[in-house]
Formats: sequence, structure tokens, C-alpha cells
Amino acid sequence: MINVKDLHKSFGHNEILKGISTHVAEKEVVVVIGPSGSGKSTFLRCLNGLETATSGEIEIAGMTLTDPKTNIHMLRQHVGMVFQQFNLFKHLTILENVTIGPRKVKKVTPAEADKVARELLAKVGLVGKEASYPDELSGGQQQRVAIARSLAMGPNVMLFDEPTSALDPEMVGEVLQVMKTLAVEGMTMVVVTHEMGFAREVGHRVIFMDDGLIVEEGAPKALFSDPQVDRTKSFLAKIL
Amino acid sequence: MDPIWQNLPVLLDGLRLTIQYSIVAIILMVVIGLVAALMRLSAVAPLRWIATAYVEIFRSTPLLVQLFFIVLGLPAILPVNQWFGQLTYPILAAALTLSLNEGAYVTEIIRAGILGVDRGQKEAAQSIAMNGFQTMRYIVLPQAFKRMIPPLVNQAAQTIKDTSLLAPVGIAELVYKGEIVIAETFASFAIWGLIAALYFVLIFSVSKFSSYMERRLQVDKR
Repeated sequence: MINVKDLHKSFGHNEILKGISTHVAEKEVVVVIGPSGSGKSTFLRCLNGLETATSGEIEIAGMTLTDPKTNIHMLRQHVGMVFQQFNLFKHLTILENVTIGPRKVKKVTPAEADKVARELLAKVGLVGKEASYPDELSGGQQQRVAIARSLAMGPNVMLFDEPTSALDPEMVGEVLQVMKTLAVEGMTMVVVTHEMGFAREVGHRVIFMDDGLIVEEGAPKALFSDPQVDRTKSFLAKIL
Repeated sequence: MDPIWQNLPVLLDGLRLTIQYSIVAIILMVVIGLVAALMRLSAVAPLRWIATAYVEIFRSTPLLVQLFFIVLGLPAILPVNQWFGQLTYPILAAALTLSLNEGAYVTEIIRAGILGVDRGQKEAAQSIAMNGFQTMRYIVLPQAFKRMIPPLVNQAAQTIKDTSLLAPVGIAELVYKGEIVIAETFASFAIWGLIAALYFVLIFSVSKFSSYMERRLQVDKR
């Protein structure tokens, strides 16, 4: 589903990604962990073209993102993204937040978009909030709307950029629960997170990144209990 | 009171022109400002250069000089009077120059409004596959517009007052008519006082109307 070959990304002279290569299979849930500044968010943002790779190759949902001829908007319809700060459209109601993508981009009829949006809002546990505005919702509720907004486009892959880092502790669970449901249903997911419990329980594979490189990757159980590289050991010792 | 009552129809005739020029200039300044702001924020460098040059030129020279230059100066080197008609050219040129001048300020208002919208809003729009136009049209501009209302109302008030500078280039608006009436009646205190009052009523109504609109759009709330 996702194929990354020798991905490099620099901002000016500052090289953030120093050659990332990995593969994500269909229905696989990959959790990316690492210290801040390790490049994990940049890596994720490269996967839907919010950042342009400096060099290397990214193939995702059957399209080559790094090929200049690829229609980036077409590609993004297949790659959903959930942000740390939710980024709900502040001037639109919850229902409109979820319907605007299908209506304006996919040209779905309003009635059809409404129907899908209501189903998705029910799925993320937000029935009755359709007419509210984002400011009127808690962080956890907003993040669940953001997930519904992404799902409304019918993506093949979902990217999560620290989806629970901006949440109050008591709201983390409700968002992780929605993500877990998605994983169980077979969504291909790449999740940047500090939630080791989620990584252990839901992740099929954990990637540990540091200083722009993949240091170590493997099944969560193996990586958490028996890390092979010293850098991984010291990182895990600090957070577990 | 005589000079006022007798000449009121003449002054109201001038006021009518003031209002007409104001309406045209306010509409055009927003259109011009929007286009130039989008050009200033464009990824295409030449578009940025053109828009920046436009803003700097019109902001850094006096409106009165611009009016003299375009309305009275241009016909000296170009046959614009033949192209547009001797009577039509000054009207067109005056309206357009005023609109371009005000548009330069509106460009900066709109640009600041767009830049004031959180970058995450744009990224979220991109992540649901919106293209640049859709992102601007459905996500960024509606949010930017609400914060732009107060400075735009300011600029509209300024534009109404700036129409008084059309008098020296021969547009028979309120100030122009006032000077004519004063030349005949010598009642300069009463007439200038009345003219000031007419401007006040006009601009005060605009600002009251816009605060009403602002409340309806719930600018503060979201």
C-alpha cells in the first residue's frame, strides 16, 4: 500500500529525513515512535504531499507521489490525514466539516454527502452534534470529527500525526477507541504517537525513528521487550 | 438660512454624484484588492512583483496627484479623449483612479486577513484533496473575510471622503457644487458646514449599517 525508498527531506541546509525506506502492507497498522525532532511528523507529512520530498521515492495507494506528473489532489483522495491540532474548519458546522470534502471535491450530491456524514458521525459517537460548531466541542470530540471528515473521502490509507497529543488525558481514550475500531475493520494506518499502549495493542509493527533515520523496527512485543539497538533501549527506558 | 434652502437642490445633486462614485469605488476597490492580494500571495513570482509594484506606487503617491496625472495628464500624450469620448474619459478615469488608489490599501487588508487564517486550516483542506482554488474559496476566504470587515469599513469611509478630491479634476460632486454655490452666495460658513454634515450623515449610516451586519455575521463568536 505504501512504499518508501530512500526518502530525504531538507529544510534549507537542515536535513530532517536522511534516507527513509519502508513498506506498509494493506490493512497493516504501523506505529511510528521517536523523540521530538526525529523527523517522524515530517515523514508522515511527506506521505500525503504536505511536505515535498527532497529526493527519494514514495508510492502510495498505487500512485507515485514523487512523480511530478502525479495529480496530488487525486492521490490525496485516497490518503486521509488527522492532525495533532484537529484543524476542523472553524466557520462550518460539524456536519458541514464532514460533507464539504465529498461535496466540493468528489461532487457528491448534498443528500448523499449528508447521509454518509451522519453515518460516520454515528460511528465516531457524535450523534446530535451535527449543527454545533467546532469551538463548542471538547478536544476529543473535535478529533473524532476530524477522523470522520477524513473517512468521508473514502481513503485507502489513514495517517495520524500525534492525534492525542493535544488532548486532555481523559479524552485520549475515546479517540484511541475510534482508531482501534478502524484498525480492526482493516484500515491501513500509519500512526505517529506517544501512546505506547496503543502501539502495543493495535500496532502490527512499530518503527523507531531518531535523527531522520529508522533506527529499528519490528513487532511491538519484540521491540518493546527486547530492543536490539542501544538508542532504542535508552529511548524506551525513558518512556516506558 | 436662505442660501442653504435655495441651493439645497444643487448640493443634493452633488451629493448624488458623491454617492455614485463612492459605490463604484467601494465595489471596485474590493474586487481589485482581492485580485491583487491573491497575486501577492501567489507562488508565481511575476504576479507577486506586479501586485507589489501596484500597491507601492499607489500607496506612495498622493491621490490628488494620481488624479491630476491620469485624468488631466494622460490626455496630453494619449488620444484617450477620442478613444473614450471627451465627456466620458474624465468620468471613467476619475472613478478608476480612485478605485485603484483605495484598492492598494484593500490589497493589504485582504492579504493580512488571508495570512491571519491558521495554516492548519489550509493543510486540513489540502488533506481532503481540495485544490488551491477550493481551499481559498471554501475554507480560507470565508474565515478571512469576517476579520476583514472592520478594516474594510474603515477603508470604505475613507473612500467616501476621498471622493472630495475629485472636485479639482472637474467632477461635479458635493465639494465641487459647494464651491459653485459659495462663489454665488458668499455663504461659506453655512455651506461648508452643511457639506460636512452631509458627509457625516452618509458615512455614519454606512458605519452603523456595517456594525449591524457584523453582529449578524457574529464576527466575534467565530
